[in-house]
Amino acid sequence: MATLLQQLISGLVLGGQIALIALGYTMVYGIIQLINFAHGEVFMVSVFGALATYNWFIPESWQQTWPLALLAMLVGAVVVAVVLAVLMERFAYRPLRNAPRLAPLITALGVSVMLKEIVRLSFPGATAAVHVPRAFWDEPITFKVPGGTVVIGSTGLLVIVVAIVGAVLLQVYISRSRMGRAMRATAQDPDTARLMGVDPNRTIVLTFVIGGALAGVAGVLYGVHLNNVDTDAGFLTGIFAFTAAVLGGVGSIKGAVIGGFIIGVIKTVGGQYLPGGTAYDLVWIFVLLILVLVFRPQGLFGEPERVRA
Amino acid sequence: MTTSQSVTTFRRNPPTGMRAGFGMLTRIVRTKAEKGHHVRNQTVKAAVLVASALLLAACGTNKTESGSSGGNNSSNTQQGCDQSKDTLVIGVIAPQSGGLSALGLGIRNSAELAVEQANEKCAVPGYKLKVQTEDDQATPQVGAQAATRLSSNAKVIGVIGTLNSSVAQSVQPVLQAKKIVQVSPANTSPSLTRGDDFLNNPKRKYDNYFRVCATDDVQGPFAAKYLVGKAGKKSIAIITDGKTYGEGLASEFKKQAEKDGAKIVATEKVGEKDTDFSTVINAVRGANPDAIYYGGEYPQAGPLSKQAKDLGLNVPVMGGDGVYDPKFIELGGKEGDLATSVGAPVDSLDTAKAFVDAYKAKKYKDELGAYGAFSYDAANVIIGALAQTVKSGDWSESQRAALITNVGSFSAPGATGELKFDQYGDSTNKLMTVYKVSGGKWNPDETGTFGG
Amino acid sequence: MNIPPGWAWLGQALLIIAGIILVIWLCRLGERRGTAYLADRPAYLRPLALLGGVLALLSALLPWVTFELNDGVYPELSTLQFFDEPWGVTGFRGFILLLGLASIVLAFVPIPAKRRVYRAIGLALFGITLFNTGFIIYYGGGIGAATAADGVVAFGGLVGLVAAAVVWFAHRSGPLEQVPLWNSKVSRAVAYPVLLLAFIALLLVVAMLLRAGTTADGDSRAYAGPIFLSLLFFISGVILALNGLGFTKWLTDVSDKHRLWSVVVLLGCSIALPFTEAGTDYWMTIAVNIGVYAATAIGLNIVVGLAGLLDLGYIAFLGIGAYVAANFSEASAAAFGIKLPFLAAAIVAAVVAGVFGAIVGSPTLRVRGDYLAIVTLAFGEIFRKAAQNDIGGLTGGANAIPDIPPISAFGQSFSAPLEIGGVKLPSGVLYYILVVVLVAVVMLVFANLKDSRIGRAWIAIREDEDAARAMGIKTGQAKILAFLIGATLAGLAGAVFAHKTSTVAYDSFQFIESVTLLAAVILGGMASIPGAVLGSALLIVLPEKLRDFQDLRLFLFGLALVLIMRFRPQGLIPDRHRRAELADEGVVEAPSQEHNVADSTPGGGAAVTR
Repeated sequence: MATLLQQLISGLVLGGQIALIALGYTMVYGIIQLINFAHGEVFMVSVFGALATYNWFIPESWQQTWPLALLAMLVGAVVVAVVLAVLMERFAYRPLRNAPRLAPLITALGVSVMLKEIVRLSFPGATAAVHVPRAFWDEPITFKVPGGTVVIGSTGLLVIVVAIVGAVLLQVYISRSRMGRAMRATAQDPDTARLMGVDPNRTIVLTFVIGGALAGVAGVLYGVHLNNVDTDAGFLTGIFAFTAAVLGGVGSIKGAVIGGFIIGVIKTVGGQYLPGGTAYDLVWIFVLLILVLVFRPQGLFGEPERVRA
Repeated sequence: MTTSQSVTTFRRNPPTGMRAGFGMLTRIVRTKAEKGHHVRNQTVKAAVLVASALLLAACGTNKTESGSSGGNNSSNTQQGCDQSKDTLVIGVIAPQSGGLSALGLGIRNSAELAVEQANEKCAVPGYKLKVQTEDDQATPQVGAQAATRLSSNAKVIGVIGTLNSSVAQSVQPVLQAKKIVQVSPANTSPSLTRGDDFLNNPKRKYDNYFRVCATDDVQGPFAAKYLVGKAGKKSIAIITDGKTYGEGLASEFKKQAEKDGAKIVATEKVGEKDTDFSTVINAVRGANPDAIYYGGEYPQAGPLSKQAKDLGLNVPVMGGDGVYDPKFIELGGKEGDLATSVGAPVDSLDTAKAFVDAYKAKKYKDELGAYGAFSYDAANVIIGALAQTVKSGDWSESQRAALITNVGSFSAPGATGELKFDQYGDSTNKLMTVYKVSGGKWNPDETGTFGG
Repeated sequence: MNIPPGWAWLGQALLIIAGIILVIWLCRLGERRGTAYLADRPAYLRPLALLGGVLALLSALLPWVTFELNDGVYPELSTLQFFDEPWGVTGFRGFILLLGLASIVLAFVPIPAKRRVYRAIGLALFGITLFNTGFIIYYGGGIGAATAADGVVAFGGLVGLVAAAVVWFAHRSGPLEQVPLWNSKVSRAVAYPVLLLAFIALLLVVAMLLRAGTTADGDSRAYAGPIFLSLLFFISGVILALNGLGFTKWLTDVSDKHRLWSVVVLLGCSIALPFTEAGTDYWMTIAVNIGVYAATAIGLNIVVGLAGLLDLGYIAFLGIGAYVAANFSEASAAAFGIKLPFLAAAIVAAVVAGVFGAIVGSPTLRVRGDYLAIVTLAFGEIFRKAAQNDIGGLTGGANAIPDIPPISAFGQSFSAPLEIGGVKLPSGVLYYILVVVLVAVVMLVFANLKDSRIGRAWIAIREDEDAARAMGIKTGQAKILAFLIGATLAGLAGAVFAHKTSTVAYDSFQFIESVTLLAAVILGGMASIPGAVLGSALLIVLPEKLRDFQDLRLFLFGLALVLIMRFRPQGLIPDRHRRAELADEGVVEAPSQEHNVADSTPGGGAAVTR
């Protein structure tokens, strides 16, 4: 019982991180139908951005006080991620917007390989884990449950809270604000949206900015929670996040978050209780992905795809 | 679908205006250009800016010494040595790009350091030595290519490598065919030297293959004896990373630990790219172990130890020489964690200290890594044996067999302890040390040999 | 208060980036202005060509570096030695000299499509000079290395760049000519010897490229990478010029008309490679790996190029083939004690891989487009994970399956050197011939399928799946068949792979290998048969040749993917049908039925609202 609960909580923490990244996938896909393969790497780079900020861009006195350090890392990570996302959109994806579907996908693969290498070359030794400071109030919270205790770290709690709050804010922004409306309009029909005075390019860039910012936030949380990062961090997390977005229904914000939590829980609880154990946890996630795509391609919260005329 | 011939560009004209950005801009510029002066102004401004940028860049010019990765300039330091006969090549096969390059670069640099020192000391009279590094990209097929490349060069005397056991498997037969000696700094799988049934019926597979590191069946049981016997841990959880090194080490550990009366309460695997280990830790926590044995390397072991503590599983984590690294502690290794490593403690060994100092003095861009010292030793074994071999005549390909014999009978102190090989090509240096984290650093706790 | 060190670094980095952007922008601007100016002045061709040629000659004779680089003199004879040694201009300076001479001579020779030839010369000059100047600056540690330092001046690089620009502008003067069409209806008496000569020339060029930058005994020289790249630029320039003259088009037309002879000659030339200067153990090993990858890439080409189904886990099929073959060899770690003869094992490997291909392909019945890419990626990772965990005791897990014996036939081991009638052939030559046969068979399968009924069905599915179904094509069957056949070919290649590499480990089948295969297909040209071979060859040979830059290998790989998609998405050797489609309107709705951004995908687009 205690173990199950503990796995559940760990799964939610993991899921929170995945959800934040999944939001970026889901928004970009929702608006230009592009699997931004490199989004996972943007997340990875942002962790290194936070680390670089902490190491090289803030005075020692800030490093000692965690709220200042956390703030600086957050700014650093978000700036890095946003700049990267915008550059990617501008120079890699925009020129290909009318190209066949394969082209942007392969470009995204190329960008993701490049980003990983840039980080590896600029942080020697980053292929093995690098330490990231905790920069948060550090107190595990322990509950007593029948059969043992359950622990949730303060940073873990933070991850879950931020993921949910972030998703809610994003939902409100998209459904209430002017730019949010523009985004929805562009997603539906860019040409008509243009006629209505919406600049699709600006809207798409904004989408990338929001996705990048969320990846940056996820990056800082990841670093602060796990206290280490390596250049491979983006690949698997990115695929998990994409899986979460698909599971929840691509384009749906609620779906991305819930999908993220489901993936997290499957990895932890499934890793313990499904056959094959932790050695096969990845496999179960992918099996779920395949099953969802085959039997409910629109995802849990997506609308069924109409047959095109 | 309209057809217009002869235009073979892939880009569509911007019909909907979706490509407003650059396309628009360029068209505007072109019309302006046709009209005249406006652009020239811009050009002048730009030229000034560029010129200043270039000047700034030129300020940083360092023109005589430059960024070759270090160690290539050894030719300048050959005072007094007779190197007239030839330049001989020691090959290095290790990952130089991609995920494992950090370890591979440490191997390369250390080998270069050894060769440079040998050139300075005239270790091989009459010959100059150089290192040729080949990237195996951590995959067997590329490793085989690299080995073939080296083996078709008559001046290659020996090869240091590889990092991955699977790459070694594809390299061994290639080098064997040309009788080139191979000394591995990092392969710990016992079957590489003694065949599949290495415990009961050891059989040497390749007579040109040697290694200076300790095999899993030396290190694992030694760790088990310490953890079960001396530290008195009776219920142990094993976590591995699924890679050859970790799996091999953990399985040898398990055999001995069970023999010594401990109970393995859980066996779990982490993904080699994982950084969040909560699943595995929670699963292990349910079994209430009083110690964790981790088969793998420090990048995972450090965070694992920390996350275990965060999740309320505050028991010592023990690992092999892949864990014995200062970075382990930086990454979250906690007080009381343990690691075994080959040889006597570094502080008690002058050769080890001298090596580390020399490495630091060279200011390599890359860190020493877990296998730097072994690579340095491997290079010195080959150099030493070569010096022995060329005593009886000038180097030629036909002396490769003699070189293999000389490596087999080589004996000298190295940076990791006594360098000497048994009849299977394994290091006879079975001396191991258990280190314990205390006061934020590794401290030797016990030194001994397994079975002794 | 101390300013943390990062800020100064950041400022510097931004400045350098700004500088680079400005240079690029300036070049673009200049190019555009020059083009506009020259567009209606065709008479400028000759003076510009002459000027460019003379500048190129000058650049070849001028010194390039101000001091000796770390690994020895580069370029060779890198001082002003013309008067000592008039013919001592070697290496890339020799190429520049040749290009300059060509530029001068051609100014007076009446040839068709002159501007296309000058474009080729300009590009080749630009490539050679830019790369070498950049290399000298990078390796010499600063701009001073290629301009002036310590009172020594060296302006070869800068003059070369100017020469390249001038020649480039020569081709801008006046409109670009059409590629001339030559009469390809020639008699056998002409066609046969011409094709023979052409393929022999190709063989020699390949051998020369492979040996570039190595000494006689196979040792790699200092600067092997730059030497190789300069040669590559030069050869590319020559090919581009022949292209502009319409010669390559004529040659391909002729070889199409005499297909049987071409195939025979090509096979003969391929098998002759071991007899050239590239006939070393090393290049045989590389060539075998290229062949294995090429065969797999052609299999992938069926799935991606013909049927338009993106597969990101394709290396798994090669892996399945390899594991099957390994288990049926005599390796001590093999799961089955039986040893099948190689041919039988290869067939079993192909069949098993094919079955898995059908299984992996089955979700295509329901899953489309990008989603399919993710599903295949998932399958690839599942395979790797299963292999790593020694599923069913079939893969050896982390210990792999080592010591797979080499193939042997008639008492001759394939990995041993061979001697026929006193001619010594490198070891691995039999593997090489096996692989040539393998690739030939795979090509044959592909070519026949492509023009068959099922091939047409695949192409129809690629273009528009719904329409294809409406026309009565059983799309589900066809798609699964694409996966099945593709995987079968990959499995066949895997069997060779297992024996040649002598170990089968899960490390060989990582995600990046799938990307490499895909890149090979795309680089060469989708659905193009020679393209897949060329793509694999480049992706394996380039890292071998450019070991000087091995640190940047993956970075350049990623960059190449991005640039190809941006500037030449049809690949180096575009497939003829695809070429037609791409020329059509610039946009093909090729690989998936879903439309571009202008189309709203329900469930995608609308869903952001929720």
